[in-house]
Amino acid sequence: MLKDVSFGQYYPVDSFVHRLDPRLKLVFLVVFITAIFLAKEFLALGICAGLLLLALIASKIPIGKVVRALRGILFLVLFTAVINLLFYPGDKVYWNAPAVLFEWKFIKITQAGIMFTAFLIARLILLMICTSLLTYTTTPVALTDGFESLMTPLKWIKFPVHALALVMSIALRFIPSLMDETQRIMNAQKARGSSLDTGSLIKRAKAVTAVVIPLLITSFRLGDELGEAMEVRCYVGGNNRTKYKKLRFSWRDLIVFVLGAGLLAGVIVLRFFPVFAL
Amino acid sequence: MRIVVEHLTHIYNEKSPFAKKALDDVSLTIEEGEFFGIIGHTGSGKSTFLQYINGLMRLPSSKKRRKKKNDRTVFQVGEYDLTRKKTDYFGLRRSVGMVFQYPESQLFAETVFDDVAFGYKNFAEKKPTKEEIEKNVKEAIEIVGLDYERIKNSSPLDLSGGQKRRVAIAGVIVTRPEILVLDEPAAGLDPLGKQEIMELLHTLHQSWCKTVVVVSHDMDEIAENCTRVAVFSEGKVKYLLPPRELFKKDEELKALGLDIPLTAKLCLELKKQGVEIDCDFTTEDFVEKVLRLKGGKRC
Repeated sequence: MLKDVSFGQYYPVDSFVHRLDPRLKLVFLVVFITAIFLAKEFLALGICAGLLLLALIASKIPIGKVVRALRGILFLVLFTAVINLLFYPGDKVYWNAPAVLFEWKFIKITQAGIMFTAFLIARLILLMICTSLLTYTTTPVALTDGFESLMTPLKWIKFPVHALALVMSIALRFIPSLMDETQRIMNAQKARGSSLDTGSLIKRAKAVTAVVIPLLITSFRLGDELGEAMEVRCYVGGNNRTKYKKLRFSWRDLIVFVLGAGLLAGVIVLRFFPVFAL
Repeated sequence: MRIVVEHLTHIYNEKSPFAKKALDDVSLTIEEGEFFGIIGHTGSGKSTFLQYINGLMRLPSSKKRRKKKNDRTVFQVGEYDLTRKKTDYFGLRRSVGMVFQYPESQLFAETVFDDVAFGYKNFAEKKPTKEEIEKNVKEAIEIVGLDYERIKNSSPLDLSGGQKRRVAIAGVIVTRPEILVLDEPAAGLDPLGKQEIMELLHTLHQSWCKTVVVVSHDMDEIAENCTRVAVFSEGKVKYLLPPRELFKKDEELKALGLDIPLTAKLCLELKKQGVEIDCDFTTEDFVEKVLRLKGGKRC
């Protein structure tokens, strides 16, 4: 059950994508998301999808992992899809049929609605895949290093970049620990006959309190202990700390940089001169 | 209820770079009425095995298993056959009480009473009356050695470590399971607390729970209490012996990274001095044998 939630889990293989500079990957993610939102038509989205597919292949992540990441947003996708499908107004005709295919009271299925829904689903799936690709191929430490490095300009206005990066890395670090802890507590309550995996929806919802409260207590305790351990070691973040792994920009990064710039440019051009407009 | 296990294999994260064989062709039978000990190094598969007994870890569906050639897995807990597709896991969990490591982390209710009553209410076949709940909770809290009247309305978070653990155990045994499974029940307690927990297990074994299965790192506890011991190592059962025979294998156990009880160490030391003692490694028997050697005289 919980082990199926794979968002935020590093998948350790050596690949082209794994070796990229985390800063670049972060920037690329932002560029990619921007491109997905700028895309107003299928060709632009297709280009994004193609590039993502290329990245997926280069990353050597098994397809099962990607599908698993998608399962997390299945409900969201279905929900938006149904709502849009039933209520999207529009009289544009895409194929040889009436614009409004079905109408009953306030429900209205239109050709435009179907196209728009398909577009929306594609967009959501692409968003999910690209974010999970980042976490699959980048260790949390590399991610925060990259994040910190990218935020350097904010240091000039005395923004506590390092502290923020630290908070982020701790949060990422504790996801699997808390996941384990949740599993443990769930097991313990199941052994006491709690209806977490059996019984009606209301019963299950009630059973959740028996997991959430111990989990909260545990996380407070963990936080306290971590804070104390850091204080004991006289932890001070900031300027004088050196890094074990220096980030380096290599030829791989250059290729991806060019690809990313090209993608953004292509999508912007297509936005003004659409080929297959919605 | 007997527990019969044959050819049980479990692999975590199958088909991924993290794949790890936690149980490898494990076969063992635990008879009704036993005080069964399980020892082994960290990561030897003990905890995974325990979770199977309680149905928290499930065998893959029979379809999947049939695909793998000559699958001969047998897993029975009393009348529950866990290899079958439709096992009554709820019923199984009612008959098998499970106390996890550091069970105090599962306490969640506002009062001790509510927390102990949680399991009882969940497992009751029909809605229990207030009196029934009160009676059972009271008995459970008292058998673990706590003062019911004083403690019932306090928050579980305000108790001491040892008390918390007792409340957690009470919350499990309140349903009077036939088999009680404990994963290091005494971990992290002071010596006195440890001793009290082991005494509690004895009381339970003689009164409420016919069979007790306990995982422990403390060899003295194992030697004092258990009828038989299974030694897990790298997912396999290396030895399955009564403590009396097991702890003679000090060299083999050391090779597995395991300790021997103090009495066994003393026997070894005496052997070096040329005095051979054949005892079952409980303190009582050890003292008796030593005294007999001295001709019954105390020094």
